[in-house]
Amino acid sequence: MSKQSEFRRLTYLTSRNIKLYFKDKITFLVSLITPLILLVLFVVFLKSTYEDSLLSITVGFNLDQKLIDAFTGGWLFSSVLATSCITVAFCSGMMVIDKINRANIDFLVSPVKKSTIQLSYVLANLFSTLIIAFVLLLIGLIYLACVGFYLTFVDFLLIVFNIVITSLFGTILANIIWTFTLSQGVVSGVCTLVSALYGFICGAYIPIYTMGKGMQGFVSLLPGTYATVLFRQGFLNGVINEMGKTLPNEMIDSIANGFDVKMSFFGHDVSTIGLILVITISTLVLLGIFLLINNLKKKKTKK
Amino acid sequence: MSHIIEIKNLKKYFGDTKAVDDISFYVETGNLFAFLGLNGAGKSTTINILVGLLTKDSGECFVNNTSIDDINKILPNIGIVFQSSVLDKNLSVYDNLRYRAMLYGMNKKEFEANLEYFINKLDLQEILKKQFDKLSGGQKRKVDIVRALIHKPKILILDEPTTGLDPKTRKLVWDMINEFRKTTNLTVLLTTHYMEEASIADNVVIIDGGKIVAEGSPLTLKNKYASDFIKAYKYDNEIIEILKKDHIPYKKDSKYLEIKFKNTDDAKNFLVEHSTLFSDIEIVKGSMDDVFLTVTGKELKENV
Repeated sequence: MSKQSEFRRLTYLTSRNIKLYFKDKITFLVSLITPLILLVLFVVFLKSTYEDSLLSITVGFNLDQKLIDAFTGGWLFSSVLATSCITVAFCSGMMVIDKINRANIDFLVSPVKKSTIQLSYVLANLFSTLIIAFVLLLIGLIYLACVGFYLTFVDFLLIVFNIVITSLFGTILANIIWTFTLSQGVVSGVCTLVSALYGFICGAYIPIYTMGKGMQGFVSLLPGTYATVLFRQGFLNGVINEMGKTLPNEMIDSIANGFDVKMSFFGHDVSTIGLILVITISTLVLLGIFLLINNLKKKKTKK
Repeated sequence: MSHIIEIKNLKKYFGDTKAVDDISFYVETGNLFAFLGLNGAGKSTTINILVGLLTKDSGECFVNNTSIDDINKILPNIGIVFQSSVLDKNLSVYDNLRYRAMLYGMNKKEFEANLEYFINKLDLQEILKKQFDKLSGGQKRKVDIVRALIHKPKILILDEPTTGLDPKTRKLVWDMINEFRKTTNLTVLLTTHYMEEASIADNVVIIDGGKIVAEGSPLTLKNKYASDFIKAYKYDNEIIEILKKDHIPYKKDSKYLEIKFKNTDDAKNFLVEHSTLFSDIEIVKGSMDDVFLTVTGKELKENV
């Protein structure tokens, strides 16, 4: 089998997996639960809660409503993307569905490498997550353009990079779990659990500084938290810089710390490069684990 | 005729269970070969080894003169229809076939050309755009078979393809398979527990408890293992006395008298000897059910 034809097989399997995900209405809707919940919560009460928190820090200064709206909107969409890149990745996988429907058997009796089949699941999972994440980003950008747009090109690049790396992180983590899963019940359980919990433990629903010390220490050990802070920086750096023109530096620092635009690891400030390194290295480690597991599984099957 | 499939001393154990226990057989090119046995007899295990889904413990398997150790060389020559469909329910018939065809390295042009052949042969046009899940049982089976043949394999493996289908759909499936056998030199390896399907095969292997207990053409097997019967509709009652005296087993009901013989020769000789006592008779050959019962001691129908 030439590399070219194997690549063609990979392309077709991947596009088949993506098509199936978007055709399966239940799987598609379940994977959108987290961003939908966040959007509803934002409309119902989160927007006013963020506004109140922001105004409590900036007491004595008259902050332009456009800045406030841009800030709360940026906070919302950084939360939406921080959670969606992981939860959609967990809920959009086709690997287990194929195992249940026995479609994987059909692929195994075709002249296609097992590694190609596995890789097609990861790629399809990643693309599906990216498609949804970029649609959410587009919605976010349109919203911000309506209420107040302060993003720079660098901020935009940071957000795009973070979407890609966080989606990849979520996809690989999900596929490691799906490799050992044969039941739709387990998939639904894990998907629901991740959708419900992830937003809390990555600091997407509530700012990290409002958590207890123990919880703060715990979430600072999770790579997802670093991705959340990176999203905060992408969406809020511009608007905070704009606020800096009218607000004192101490107040700006309070806003940045209070709304997770800055992160500290057990008292040490983590730079933007540090955040990028943590999420990138974590993704590479997961990738190594995924390849190792598949290699070991392949050897076990050959026995 | 050459052997397109050859299996030598194949063994596969799952713990203490001997799923396949030292079996050897071959399939000739272009034949319809039936693998007959109860559920758990070892049929599917053998097929799964042949297509690389399971590894063998020992023995040798060759497909088209290539060892299954080199499975990727073998798989392009095999098409398989599973007991239940494994196609994507949410995709259209066309998409299902296209995605599967591409796995065999076909480009779009080759796929379209092959598909055209089946569209003409099987009247697929009207269901091509339909979602697979919306098809009837018969249409689904039709698509399963097209999927198995889309890359023009030399061997078609049918793993209990008609189990659970109604008689009309079973006929449709067999009409399709026979049509392809007529027009191509397709070899068909069938696993079944339906006697009527096994009886149309060129060769039959009966497997029980992982071992081959009988093999040969249906006629050879019937001659060797099944009894023959004389069914007498009009006869002289004197015949009953003769049967009793000679200890020949018989059954009598209001419609006919059924006399059991070891083989056709015995039945023929008995008729010649007592021809004046019969006026309306027929000789019935033993069925594959009788063969199966004789060689395994088990009723196949119970398991269907």
